[in-house]
Amino acid sequence: MQQILVACIVSIALAVTVWKLMPARRRLQVLLALDSRAARHPGLSRWRERSLKPRIARAAGTGCDGCAANAGTRPHPPR
Amino acid sequence: MDTAVITAPLRIALVGVPNCGKTALFNRLTGSRQKVANYPGVTVERREGERVAADGRTLRVLDLPGTYSLTPTTLDEAITRDVLLGRVAAAPAPELVVCVVDAVHLAIGLRLALEVKRLGLPMVLALNRMDVATQRHVHIDVARLAAELGVPVLPTIAVKRGGADALIEAIESAHWAANRVVSAPSWQEPSPEDAEQTQSDLRGVLAAVGYSAPRENPWFARIDALLLHPVAGLVVLAAVLFVMFQAVFSWAEAPMDWIDGGMARLGELTAAHLPDGPLTSLLVNGVIAGAGSVLVFLPQILILFLFILALEDTGYLPRAAYLLDRMMGGVGLSGRAFIPLLSSFACAIPGIMAARTIPGWRDRLTTIMIAPLMTCSARLPVYALLISALIPAKAVGPFNLQGLVLFVLYVAGIVAALVVAYVMKQFAGSRQYSPLMLELPDYQWPNLGNLLLGLWERVKIFLSRVGGIILALMIVLWFLSSYPAPPEGATGPPIQYSFAGRLGAMLEYLFAPIGFNWQISIALVPGLAAREVAVGALGTVYAMSAAGDDVAGQLEPVIASTWSLATACSLLAWYVFAPQCLSTLAVVKRETNSWRYPIIMAVYLFALAYIASFITYRTIAAWA
Repeated sequence: MQQILVACIVSIALAVTVWKLMPARRRLQVLLALDSRAARHPGLSRWRERSLKPRIARAAGTGCDGCAANAGTRPHPPR
Repeated sequence: MDTAVITAPLRIALVGVPNCGKTALFNRLTGSRQKVANYPGVTVERREGERVAADGRTLRVLDLPGTYSLTPTTLDEAITRDVLLGRVAAAPAPELVVCVVDAVHLAIGLRLALEVKRLGLPMVLALNRMDVATQRHVHIDVARLAAELGVPVLPTIAVKRGGADALIEAIESAHWAANRVVSAPSWQEPSPEDAEQTQSDLRGVLAAVGYSAPRENPWFARIDALLLHPVAGLVVLAAVLFVMFQAVFSWAEAPMDWIDGGMARLGELTAAHLPDGPLTSLLVNGVIAGAGSVLVFLPQILILFLFILALEDTGYLPRAAYLLDRMMGGVGLSGRAFIPLLSSFACAIPGIMAARTIPGWRDRLTTIMIAPLMTCSARLPVYALLISALIPAKAVGPFNLQGLVLFVLYVAGIVAALVVAYVMKQFAGSRQYSPLMLELPDYQWPNLGNLLLGLWERVKIFLSRVGGIILALMIVLWFLSSYPAPPEGATGPPIQYSFAGRLGAMLEYLFAPIGFNWQISIALVPGLAAREVAVGALGTVYAMSAAGDDVAGQLEPVIASTWSLATACSLLAWYVFAPQCLSTLAVVKRETNSWRYPIIMAVYLFALAYIASFITYRTIAAWA
């Protein structure tokens, strides 16, 4: 059981590492590809609006998004 | 008018001269928390945020870099002009311009407002810093100003809650939504006659509104006489930096001990309550020993930023730029390089981007190439770990020896940057020196809210790094340090037989001449992702090397007992120079639009790091 859990955790960590170290432009391309696929599924519209679109905006917007230091920060929602 | 145009959010752009409060106003309008500082040049690219109006409509707000005119001299100013003219791909011209003008220095901001108004875009003028203007007896007839310009003029205090309510009400007005179809404005570079006409219009408006210049505060002049003095000013600057580095070590001791003790206890508890197996090893040796050993340095990073944020807020930093201008000019750096280089003390990436404010390509390139030599906050955990492990915390006169060593490391980075800039100047040949033109902001007391907010942002950034890329890398490193398992009858610690152990053994051939053992060699590899990852990697590697013994939270004594002083100093010298940050190289590629410069940067910094470490190691080893 521990072996399976560890395999899952290490796989997720590997995916996160690759994602975080990916150049900003490539990350944007992946997000846009995800968005175009998700657009065909009405059930994913909530996820697109809440999670995917803000990520795309951040990836496309400022250069600081290329910096790992800012990867986790996001602007607060409008008042 | 098609439906898409009607339903799309209204595009609002904030423009103004540098340091007039655009970003503070942007934060007020959108609820975001972009960096605000009491000096010009903080915003170097457009930033976008949204606001939901009272009637439910969405407004898209753009914060643009500060500019004195629509005729740009730098890249960041060109961004502002191009956005206003709708020349930026996927960013049509704004449908409403909020021109932010500092009420205290009305003449400077109003000139730009007149230029923007001629573009014909719908415009509102935000007369910012009205509280300071009132304190300094500045007179402005606001109603007359609105009549002269033919646009609404709203007084604002962007840094105060409720200080932009009138402006918010104005931009949320349905009027703009009803008249929103605008074509991209046309513009051509003004002739000398046009510039003269603008100046004449400006004088006319200032006279009409009865503008009186602000009364000078006599204390400001006295403080400036000291802080800008060519000798006394440098002494004060050195003293300020010295106190800052002393505080980083002295004040952080107790909270670091708490976190350290907490991590060690957590490691013990985890090991005691979980059955032996790979999951327990992953949690104790990978997560707690790895990511936990980086977390310990949070108090030191916060103290460093407390000083930097306080100095920013007071208006001292541009004065330091003025003081150092002559020295920087001597080695071929533009005076405008100071702010980018200062930003690099937090992180090289915003520093490299801030180099957009430098007009000449060669000056800009020199600044970009030396920005990674400024000691970024990610180096602090590495420095602090090695200093704490090997330098005794004894007093040298009134000073703490550990703080002194940290100060020397920061100075070493600065000196190296100046030397590299000088060498680059020799290669580039003689060129004209571009002088520093910097508006010195008024002195002000640091705003407690700003300080706390700034520190909170640093906490979030640090924790998101520890919980994100650092944690992920530590888990991957734990895997590489644990598998494959040692063969039957193996006598050494299991890590020696793992992927990481084999990689470390190979790298050791390369790094042995500079005194690095295989554990350090392994730690340098994930450390390429971000510098402080090396500390976590050392935590994991030593935890795994200890053949099952728990060393979580005990990295310092392990290093103190197993490394020589020469090795530790060699690693410190390595970190002064090494470009151990892939994100920095990626941003250099983007900013220079070429692979050539990041490659040159990586090669020259690695070469410098290796040479410096070699000399340090050999010299100390020979003396010891």
